[in-house]
Amino acid sequence: MTQVIPGEFKGPAFKKGHKITSGDLCRLMRMGKNHLYVLDLAEDQVHEDDAVLELASALSGPGVTFSGSPAEGKLELKAEYPGLFKVNIQALEDFNMFQDVMCASIHTNTAVKTDQSLAATRAIPLVIHRADLETAVNFAGKNYPIFSVKLFQPLKIRLIITRNEVYKGLIKDRFKSIVEQKTTDLGASLEEAVILPDDRDMISAQIREYLEKDTDLIITTGGMSVDPDDVTKAGIEDSGFEQIHYSAAVLPGAMFLLGYHKNTAIMGLPACGLYHRTTIFDLILPRIMAGEKPGPMDLARLSHGGLCLNCKPCRFPACSFGKVG
Amino acid sequence: MEDFETLLKGSAAAHGHLCPGQVVGVRMAMEGCRLIGLDNPRELPQIKKLIVYVEMDRCATDAISFVTGVKLSRRSLKFIDNGIMAATFVHLETGKAFRIISKETARDLAEKYAPEIEDKHQQQLEAYKRMSLEDLFDVQEVRVTVKASDMPGPTRFKAVCQNCGQVVRDKREVMKNDRILCRPCALGTYYQPVTPQGKKNV
Repeated sequence: MTQVIPGEFKGPAFKKGHKITSGDLCRLMRMGKNHLYVLDLAEDQVHEDDAVLELASALSGPGVTFSGSPAEGKLELKAEYPGLFKVNIQALEDFNMFQDVMCASIHTNTAVKTDQSLAATRAIPLVIHRADLETAVNFAGKNYPIFSVKLFQPLKIRLIITRNEVYKGLIKDRFKSIVEQKTTDLGASLEEAVILPDDRDMISAQIREYLEKDTDLIITTGGMSVDPDDVTKAGIEDSGFEQIHYSAAVLPGAMFLLGYHKNTAIMGLPACGLYHRTTIFDLILPRIMAGEKPGPMDLARLSHGGLCLNCKPCRFPACSFGKVG
Repeated sequence: MEDFETLLKGSAAAHGHLCPGQVVGVRMAMEGCRLIGLDNPRELPQIKKLIVYVEMDRCATDAISFVTGVKLSRRSLKFIDNGIMAATFVHLETGKAFRIISKETARDLAEKYAPEIEDKHQQQLEAYKRMSLEDLFDVQEVRVTVKASDMPGPTRFKAVCQNCGQVVRDKREVMKNDRILCRPCALGTYYQPVTPQGKKNV
């Protein structure tokens, strides 16, 4: 039985299994409960607490966990380990079309930490018909997994910081600390970082050197725009990457480059990453960390929700930026 | 629940010897059960209402298991490798839970509680029997969310590793590179196979 004290408390005042004693009567009456009902479940009826365990079990794929003790007929699904939260959106919508069940989640492709809340599910009525429950559970089973968390892998990252003014020491580099923090937060390791001038050949040679080492992801910073000095993109193109996708429907981060060579990915970060706290880098990095290889369609799909509103303070990822679907 | 001396005797027999850890473990278990309102945890129906999280794999753990009846095999005993002489007793029905931590200062108080005994080991053993609970333990009331996949009872969750074909129970599988894998395949092993075929060529 849920008690609501506006602005102060919302939670179970009496849990399933509680044995009512005379001492409870005053509290019940204070809650405005002057009648108690006797519920005898028919054979084809399932109590909400039992039903929600079945729903949560059916919805939760690898990396998604939940409590064994439902509260108020509801269960929260949480991340078992850090990774990329994935939602089969179509299946989730279809699941919610079934009678007397619901499930709401956070967005797909969100980077999540252990124990982070991902979704919540419940049966709508206090008792649900067994047949309705089974229909929803079977559907989720056929579409398994509707929710999963892809494990972040401890990628080895190597960084190339470009710009003549940084190379000459006229201004101090700030990219390294930004990249290091964002990548190590997700479990990667920054193995090496070099500062190079805007020299196409030097950039290309450095990338080739990195490719010969045990490198999962190469990141370049700067030199991605349209000035004659912006040669980083050309340097990447010279270095043997088979797939290169330049530009993305995201602001900040439109002049972003993403490429692949065998098992190594490369990301060319435009200079906007120095000014904006959150850019396309924050949307694509978790996917690379989870072993995905986003392509042109994935970059285009980011357009809906791809405009950062530059809120102060920035609330990312608790905002619409990068949320698709 | 039986009295302290009977439980200690049984615990020492099950463990293999009587030691200060047995005394601490028995007293910790008795207090933990009392705090969450269980007086006969080794038998039905209470045996299904208790989970104990132990934070060390040393003597006291055997004593806790003996007194409460919790077992790894029943999934009622959970090992959290903290290296701390502590255990949390959880009543699954009411959610009431208490973490009891053995105080390091109790060692220094052994002489005060058993001054007539010279041998340090024997002195500790006897002192821990006589010591007040306040001197022996710190106690915290806590909340523990027991995952559905950690609950006792029949296996509810099974997956098959898409690399090695091993069945993985209780949601211990991992999603890596779009494949559902067992932890050894996804995260590496604590062992090194001696033969190329590993498990088959014994």
